[in-house]
Amino acid sequence: MDDIRARLENCFAAVFPTLSAGEIAQADHYSVSAWDSVASVTLFATIEEEFGLELEIADLPELVSFEKIAAYLTSKVTA
Amino acid sequence: MKLIDALRIVGEKGNRELPVLRVGLVCGFTPMHFQTFLGAYIQSASTGQRTEVASGLYGDFWGNLEELSSGKEADDLAIIVMEWSDLDARLGLRSLGSWAPAALPGILENARARAKQFVGAIEKLSREVPVAICFPTLPVPPISFAPGCQANSFVLELRSLIAGLSLDVVRIRNVRVVDPQRLDLLSPQSERHDAKAELLSGFPYKLAHASTLAELLTRLTYPPAPKKAIITDLDDTLWGGILGEVGLQGITWDLEHKTHMHGAYQRLLHALSEAGVLIGVASKNEPQIVRQAMAREDLILPGSAVFPVEAGWGPKSEAVERILRTWNIAADAVVFIDDSPMELAEVRAQHPGIETILFPKTDYQGLNDLFYRLRDLFGKSSISQEDSLRRDSIRRAVEAAPAGSFQSADAFLEQAEAEFLFDFSKDQADDRAFDLINKTNQFNLNGRRLTEASWQGFLKQSDTFLLAVTYQDKYGPLGKIAVVAGRVRGKTLRVDHWVMSCRAFSRRIEHRTLEELIRRFSVQGITLEFEQTPRNGPLREFLGQLLDGEPTSSCRVSRHKVDEFLSKTLPKVAEVARG
Repeated sequence: MDDIRARLENCFAAVFPTLSAGEIAQADHYSVSAWDSVASVTLFATIEEEFGLELEIADLPELVSFEKIAAYLTSKVTA
Repeated sequence: MKLIDALRIVGEKGNRELPVLRVGLVCGFTPMHFQTFLGAYIQSASTGQRTEVASGLYGDFWGNLEELSSGKEADDLAIIVMEWSDLDARLGLRSLGSWAPAALPGILENARARAKQFVGAIEKLSREVPVAICFPTLPVPPISFAPGCQANSFVLELRSLIAGLSLDVVRIRNVRVVDPQRLDLLSPQSERHDAKAELLSGFPYKLAHASTLAELLTRLTYPPAPKKAIITDLDDTLWGGILGEVGLQGITWDLEHKTHMHGAYQRLLHALSEAGVLIGVASKNEPQIVRQAMAREDLILPGSAVFPVEAGWGPKSEAVERILRTWNIAADAVVFIDDSPMELAEVRAQHPGIETILFPKTDYQGLNDLFYRLRDLFGKSSISQEDSLRRDSIRRAVEAAPAGSFQSADAFLEQAEAEFLFDFSKDQADDRAFDLINKTNQFNLNGRRLTEASWQGFLKQSDTFLLAVTYQDKYGPLGKIAVVAGRVRGKTLRVDHWVMSCRAFSRRIEHRTLEELIRRFSVQGITLEFEQTPRNGPLREFLGQLLDGEPTSSCRVSRHKVDEFLSKTLPKVAEVARG
């Protein structure tokens, strides 16, 4: 779990380089102004590459915050 | 490179203060991750600059190309990535235009018209900035009615069109095209297309393919400096067999003796030699028998193409040292090839910069790989006249070298019948001036390297000048061997770049160049943008004589001082000025 969160933090830090570690943990689609549709595509591509999995299209609308993505990845990786 | 790494590179805050390198990217797809990879690779290759990659409107390949070639945007570099759908939208997945058989002739007609338009735009664009192009990398979609395993005229015509288009643009100066064969090796066809990403976001590439493509395009625009020379072993390397054991007629390089790989190696060395690469030999053998062997007329690499040949029983590093001294080049410009790992290690220990390669004497695939590696290490876009002169001029210099004393050097120069050509034209037909600036180390004012973009930008400015010096004497031509570039402001001349090939040392070419600059521009002084580098000792020494002391950055020499200095040092010569 900690490993997943750390790797996810790296993905967020690469896509949103202005966010601090504390801000990344709180980040969501609404509070981060740079999190637009292009950033979403980049973030998802980075996550797919980092975790070696393909995100389901149907799941994408739900993946709108760091916490939700971390929970999603935990369920995928440990399933 | 992974996307996360590319994002980190382009997002580095430390780069914000650097001057900007503007890259114009033309593609018909959403550039997204490709733009990120391209920015990261170029950023990594271009030291001292911050890369900004600008792409135009999504889906408007031709509008973006037109905009870029109009010169409205002040880009430093243009990168163009064409896919099939840019020739006709029906050749992509996102368009729902007809794939009916009746539509195929119209698609081909569109593609032909687009090809013609493309050549015109590239001719225009390449006059402004260096251009790197990649033609379609994705499979043609299953638009033809023929089964996929069967070649059909529609797809063949499309491929033929692209082949012709590649040939047309690759002949244009300032244009480089990604080699599809190399791309096939690095990024297999089946691993390129991401249909999901293309349909959902308009980005058609898998990440690994996007990364490879960006890397190759960057290599076209920032090619590594080619190596200059090869030092090769002889026994079980240049030929099969140990010369000292099997004798002169026992060494072989043919199919009959299963030593053909040595013949193939000789063939490649010969080709490299003819393209200007220096070839020398370091061999542990009796010098006399080596001389006889190198005189064999059936050698594929003729003995005349090899200079110098160092044969003896001392350490190979010492032979390499003597060869480097004769060539007057640094170890890091040289590749040493030997079939003995021990010899490679011994040479590497004494010459840390040298690139050492084990000759794969029992590994046929390894030999094939070696050939590709050598072509990459020594690859250049064109062959200049100087390339064909280099080996012979070094040989002549060794044979006719004046003794070390000042007096005999003067006497040597007086009788050398030197002739200079000073060419001040800024639109020189070859890339020799640019190449010299970027590969010269010893006689180099400051060691600054240039990109093609910055070089062309420099030449376009109205207050800049370029002087290329061509030299020959009764011992033969040296070709274009010195370059000076700078600015003229009022009565002051500022020299930003001054380089001279090491083959041209000891001929007072640098003295004559200074005199010509003073005469040409009628200036009262010259400011030299000198910077000490680990290797520019020869130039520092020359300036030390001229200035009566150690040169400093932006050091200035007056006309009076130059006249006084030159009156003591110049021999009589014939000169021509042009431009």
